[in-house]
Amino acid sequence: MRKKGIQTNDPHIQALARIVGGEKSILYKKEDLIAYDCDGFTVHRHLPKAVVFPKNTEEVAAIVKYCHEHDLPFLARGAGTGLSGGAIPLNGEVIISLVRMKRLISVDLENRRAVVEPGFVNLKLTNSISDRGYYYAPDPSSQYCCTIGGNVAENAGGAHCLKYGVTTNHILGLEVVLPNGEIIEIGKNGIPDPPGYDLIGLLTGSEGTLGIVTKITVRILKNPEAKQTVLAYFDRVEDASQAVSDIISEGMVPAALEMMDQTAIEGVEAAAFPVGHPKDIEALLLIEVDGISAGISEQIEEILRICRNRNVREVKVAQTEEERARWWANRKTGFGAMGAISPDYLVQDGVIPRSKLPEVLKNIQQISKKYGLRIANIFHAGDGNLHPLVLFDASKPGETEKALAAGSECLQACAAVGGSITGEHGVGIEKKEEMRFIFSDEEIAAQIDIRDVFNPKNLLNAGKLFPTPGRCVEVKREKKQRQSL
Amino acid sequence: MLSLEWKDELTAILSEKQVQIEEHGSHPLGNSGHVTVYPQSEEEISNILRYANTHGKRVCIVGGGTKRGFGGQLECADILLSLANYSGIVEHAAADMTVTVKSGTVFQQLQDYLAEYRQKVALDPVWPQYATIGGVISANDSGPKRLGYGSARDSVIGLRIVYPDGTVIRSGGKVVKNVAGYDMNKLFIGAMGTLGVISEITLKLRPLPKYESLVLLSFPSGNLEEVRSFAVQFLDSMMEPVCFELLSPSLSERLIGQRAYTLAIGFEDVESAVHYQEEFVKRLQPPNTTIRILPQEEAKSFWQTFYTIGPNGAAPDPLGQEIEAAVKIGVVNLDVLHIVRESDLLQESCHVHIEAHGGLGHGLCQVYIKGESESVATAIERLRTAASGLGGYAVVKHLPFSLRKRIDVWGENPSYFFLLDGIKRKIDPNRILNNQRFIGGI
Ligand SMILES: Cc1cc2nc3c(=O)[nH]c(=O)nc-3n(C[C@H](O)[C@H](O)[C@H](O)COP(=O)(O)OP(=O)(O)OC[C@H]3O[C@@H](n4cnc5c(N)ncnc54)[C@H](O)[C@@H]3O)c2cc1C
Ligand SMILES: Cc1cc2nc3c(=O)[nH]c(=O)nc-3n(C[C@H](O)[C@H](O)[C@H](O)COP(=O)(O)OP(=O)(O)OC[C@H]3O[C@@H](n4cnc5c(N)ncnc54)[C@H](O)[C@@H]3O)c2cc1C
Repeated sequence: MRKKGIQTNDPHIQALARIVGGEKSILYKKEDLIAYDCDGFTVHRHLPKAVVFPKNTEEVAAIVKYCHEHDLPFLARGAGTGLSGGAIPLNGEVIISLVRMKRLISVDLENRRAVVEPGFVNLKLTNSISDRGYYYAPDPSSQYCCTIGGNVAENAGGAHCLKYGVTTNHILGLEVVLPNGEIIEIGKNGIPDPPGYDLIGLLTGSEGTLGIVTKITVRILKNPEAKQTVLAYFDRVEDASQAVSDIISEGMVPAALEMMDQTAIEGVEAAAFPVGHPKDIEALLLIEVDGISAGISEQIEEILRICRNRNVREVKVAQTEEERARWWANRKTGFGAMGAISPDYLVQDGVIPRSKLPEVLKNIQQISKKYGLRIANIFHAGDGNLHPLVLFDASKPGETEKALAAGSECLQACAAVGGSITGEHGVGIEKKEEMRFIFSDEEIAAQIDIRDVFNPKNLLNAGKLFPTPGRCVEVKREKKQRQSL
Repeated sequence: MLSLEWKDELTAILSEKQVQIEEHGSHPLGNSGHVTVYPQSEEEISNILRYANTHGKRVCIVGGGTKRGFGGQLECADILLSLANYSGIVEHAAADMTVTVKSGTVFQQLQDYLAEYRQKVALDPVWPQYATIGGVISANDSGPKRLGYGSARDSVIGLRIVYPDGTVIRSGGKVVKNVAGYDMNKLFIGAMGTLGVISEITLKLRPLPKYESLVLLSFPSGNLEEVRSFAVQFLDSMMEPVCFELLSPSLSERLIGQRAYTLAIGFEDVESAVHYQEEFVKRLQPPNTTIRILPQEEAKSFWQTFYTIGPNGAAPDPLGQEIEAAVKIGVVNLDVLHIVRESDLLQESCHVHIEAHGGLGHGLCQVYIKGESESVATAIERLRTAASGLGGYAVVKHLPFSLRKRIDVWGENPSYFFLLDGIKRKIDPNRILNNQRFIGGI
């Protein structure tokens, strides 16, 4: 029989176990910790010191306070689906897992808001209110399992963010445990524009480096009266990208405007939710329009006209809800589907001005040739958010490094046209160095300055987000500030 | 006071005509300076700030000055940095639906330019003919259409900021989706110029609506329960109003000549969708109410008037006969009903004239008060009590300087004030920028 109680002499583990109420709420044995050595970014791995499972804000605060007082590095973890390594315990952190804080605290339909705990799964929110015709807009493809706390940390986006905005546009209030264990509440009662600097905006997307979110007030929306979905097949990828540009510059705001290229189509058709897309087309567009039913058909006609102008091979409107759902399942499981055609894949996440789509897709093709690795593209074309998926085989020596280099070069191509290195997956460990593609040393130092206000000991999720020799930049800036006194 | 030497030093940075010595150096709304400087480039802004930072001079920033009466405990800073001559469009990527603009550009001029491309910045601040885009963003101004289009934090995608030490820092970028590093844009939106001078602003744009109309639904009975039950029913429908704003009877009288609580419900979409939604309102229309529909140009002209109902800090004689105050109140959406009613009742009990409006879909109210100084002060206190009783806040957006010393325009500090102050100290350790303009004396 298994022996009860904590089987270690480590006083920290014992103390943490006491805070969370015993052995059922803490993992500390190596065999148990292995599952936590990485998140959705699997290239780096590191074992945490322990994983604790608090049940409420007070326990989170007590854990953080303990870590703060004993100089133990720590970090928060939701579902661990992050794609940039944000939840990887690089420094042997104590992982504070929020999966047991998963209550839907309240729903107020009249005032269109809901309050959730951070471990509440994204899709569950929509499922809890859909019977009354409401939903929560940000819809990352991982929404069936990722947590809203993790969404806040990463400022997650999704297919329908083109029209409705990303996570930050839907957060009204946060309760946060600061890195010293203090609990604060910003945006009391979810009332907008609380006087003072916009800390909600700053915390959202800070990748778990400024505080641990323990309660979230989100805005919920009423379902659109009608929606229609269009699938368009193009022989040439240039035509598809031109159609995207045309739709945007015509002044239309579709709910979603997604694109897949030939390699991606090969993947999704070989995986669990095939639609029967032709394999010989270079690209497809999945376009959704929603809103007042009286206005929808006009917009659909316009989209069909644009696609035809751009030599579409075939374009169709979903005839049933079932058909629409099938198209979306095919799209939303797109990343995983690459597993059907490649042993490993690396997801990248660059953003470009939408009019640069044809140019950048061409550059990505060249990068693919240069490294001899296939790159599939499945992405949010409407807001210029590319997801090049670099296909590789980690068992072949040197191929992982090649894939990383190819991914980085894709980001460089995005930065070169005035874009960004990440649109929704975050910097984490993965893109730390690439931050230099878009920010100067001084700009990076300015961000580190802000971190220092919240997280002066840098015990919370250290080593993420900023390029490694950040130290010398920090020193440089300090010196400069002293000089200016 | 002001030595000539001072001016010489500044003219070493700028040309003679960009530096103006102020004779009086004070303004009834405060927030003025002994010297006004008019930089024309980012480099000049940077040089001025570097000069001020090393010489311990206090700088007050002004865009259009419509918000001169918004916050501030200093009657006169050393340098008034005006962005009036720092304007123009830097880059308009029409096909990408983004624009980069210098911060001193007048809001309306930007909109007029974009209108030629059938595009717009989706913000509706007051006094668009005077307000600069930099001021709108720094004051985080939004109007009723925030319901449909969001506020500055939803439109701004990139900034160039001149830090107090003269360094130029970029935040965000030129793309509509971006999570690289901290979302630093958010820090400067609504910061009232206490962290840096915003030099350039990149905004995402929206298409101009193909058609618009405004439905005005008046409730002459004065029974707010009727308004509430209509609002709840309407907001639970799938209609997509861009605004759902309750006007107080006094404001309604001024705008449409009908002294009654009135809901202003705006629709912007393709024409068929707009008419469909108008019909929907008619079907839901409660008994004893009156309805008026302003199509297209009529709606536009309503809004033009609407955006000039409040006091304007840039007007030639901003004090007029009576004291004027503007209060922004935030409460949970439907509690706007209570605030608008309270405003109406205060008119009699405090002997003031009050016009108020608030969005039942977003929870923000604007209350404009006119009257004798003491009465205005009492009305503000009562409104603040009402707001905090509902778990909300009240910020006094406009008040003559003399009263600002007595009434804390920002209200109580939040429990996390040390974070706000910590940010200020990191970025502006010498507190040269808009000192004491912001919450808690930041
Ligand atoms: C198949 C797949 C598809 C995806 N599709 C999308 C997509 O379409 N759009 C998109 O944006 N992302 C997508 N992602 C990425 C990922 O799902 C999101 O980043 C998500 O928000 C992470 O949530 P999580 O709960 O898994 O967080 P985790 O991975 O556990 O954590 C992510 C980061 O957030 C921090 N964190 C977690 N919880 C908290 C908290 N309560 N307080 C403070 N910090 C916290 C962690 O420290 C870490 O830095 C996808 C991932 C996968 C695997
Ligand atoms: C009494 C009053 C009430 C108002 N009420 C409402 C309202 O109810 N609803 C609404 O939506 N709008 C309101 N406004 C809106 C306002 O008029 C403008 O929309 C805008 O906010 C001010 O622009 P400005 O250029 O005049 O700014 P200014 O008054 O010049 O400046 C505003 C603030 O921003 C700072 N600032 C200006 N430019 C910069 C810059 N480039 N960089 C850094 N800081 C800068 C200034 O120092 C100051 O702190 C109100 C204005 C007034 C005067």
